[in-house]
Amino acid sequence: MAQQTERIFVLPGDQINPSVIPSHPKRPLKLGPGLRHIPPSELLPTVAGQLVTDYKKNSIWVEYNGGRYIPAVGDLVIGTVARSVVDYYYVTLSDYTSNAALPQLAFEMATKKTRPQLNPGALVYARVTLANRHMDPELECVSATSGKAEGLGPLNGGMLYDISLGMARRLLMRKSVEEGKVVVLEELGSAGLAFETAVGRNGKMWVNSESTKTVLLVGRAVQETDEKNLDAEQQKKLVRKLVKEMS
Amino acid sequence: MPREAEPSLNERAFVVQALQEGLRLDGRAFDQFRGLDLKFGDHYGVADVTLGKTRVLANVSAEVTAPYIDRPFDGIFTITTELSPMASPAFEVNRPTETEVLLSRLLEKTVRRSNALDTESLCLIAGQKCWSIRVDLHVLSHDGNLIDGSCLAVVAALRHFRRPDTSIEGETLTVYTPAEREPVPLSWLHSPFCITFSFYGEEGEIMLLDATLLEEQLRVSSCIISLNKHGEICQIAKLGGTPVEAVSLIQCASAALTKGKELSTLLDQKLAEDSKRRDKGGLLAELSAENER
Repeated sequence: MAQQTERIFVLPGDQINPSVIPSHPKRPLKLGPGLRHIPPSELLPTVAGQLVTDYKKNSIWVEYNGGRYIPAVGDLVIGTVARSVVDYYYVTLSDYTSNAALPQLAFEMATKKTRPQLNPGALVYARVTLANRHMDPELECVSATSGKAEGLGPLNGGMLYDISLGMARRLLMRKSVEEGKVVVLEELGSAGLAFETAVGRNGKMWVNSESTKTVLLVGRAVQETDEKNLDAEQQKKLVRKLVKEMS
Repeated sequence: MPREAEPSLNERAFVVQALQEGLRLDGRAFDQFRGLDLKFGDHYGVADVTLGKTRVLANVSAEVTAPYIDRPFDGIFTITTELSPMASPAFEVNRPTETEVLLSRLLEKTVRRSNALDTESLCLIAGQKCWSIRVDLHVLSHDGNLIDGSCLAVVAALRHFRRPDTSIEGETLTVYTPAEREPVPLSWLHSPFCITFSFYGEEGEIMLLDATLLEEQLRVSSCIISLNKHGEICQIAKLGGTPVEAVSLIQCASAALTKGKELSTLLDQKLAEDSKRRDKGGLLAELSAENER
């Protein structure tokens, strides 16, 4: 995204200019969401959005703000426990879709005796480990390699907010300020508010803080930024306005 | 049938905690409505009410039919509601949910049984011909407080509606097209409005107006009061839930009166604006051959 000088927008079925497609001498080309490969060598966008390429990773995808979350391996998501069966928790990632399975032993330091007891309705922050097209996805709350939670696990207290999938992706970008153009959380932090957040790729954001007011303020600021599609300057203005209102 | 998505435990605890501290999720006051917008369509009898993210569309139509045999001097007036899967995946076509049954019953009680529309004026020839007025209500988007929005939409659409003019000469009944004679408004007696109160807390001590969908899912009980701007109460419904103090019901009624007056003023103002927009300047303007070229 950063290397790109001008933005390219594509519609479903558009021809992609071959000069845009990254070519790396060694690595194979990686296709992200919104693109379809028709053998032998044709690439077609399947959704309308911004064509984004990453030359370092040799990957290409279409960035769009779609409504429905489709799980992909490695995504961080916030789910609600729907029910628990013998060895699994069934977790809802988005409303009215089939549940994902979360093994009860996939938590940090979990054994048969020390596994966490989660009631229906509890929130968990988890990573998607299995996402096949016609199967229910599977989740984990522990890193399989290190055996550490790495921030994943049950979320206690706080409030859950719905945000758009595009906003969730922007918030989860490694450099969310430069690339995603979201400064709202940084602004809220520099306004002297103490809070913690967790963002799920399934369009959920969890906010927790000592004071109820702060949680409300953070939630409203992010939701408003999302709904009104505010740019950096407007986000700063919004934060100043909300902080003034609340105090 | 898909079950309605339920909020998580964290959301439940937080919303109730915030309400105890006197705060609402969207920063409104407890007795404050969301942004309310009322629009009329190009045709007579179409009203579109937007209340925050809730959106309701009402459409009125009229046709000449035979009256019911047991009521030869009355016209026919029906309200049909439809909650489509477009509003929420929990709704299914042809399988009314509890919300839908409740909504249509309440509208029936509020608008039809309170005699807001004078059905006797719909009679054309006693026992043979009458007008049948039908209101179709479509919920386009559901984010709580359907009842208040729907009631406003129905009342607005009916007051906006004009039926074709008719005349009877001897035995013949003539229905005129809009070009021949200006359509006439319905004979409207009073405008009732529904106000829904949601109660929270152990004994329902916290009272909210215009609850969002999340707030509606978490309330311990609710009370719906229908009244007109003169303070004449058409119905009060408190369907189950935690019992509330008699005093707070009286508070509800007085709060409902202020809200009802506000809604009534809004409706009058919007109707006046619309008629001004439609009025092209009387007969002279209509007969003029000049066009806008």
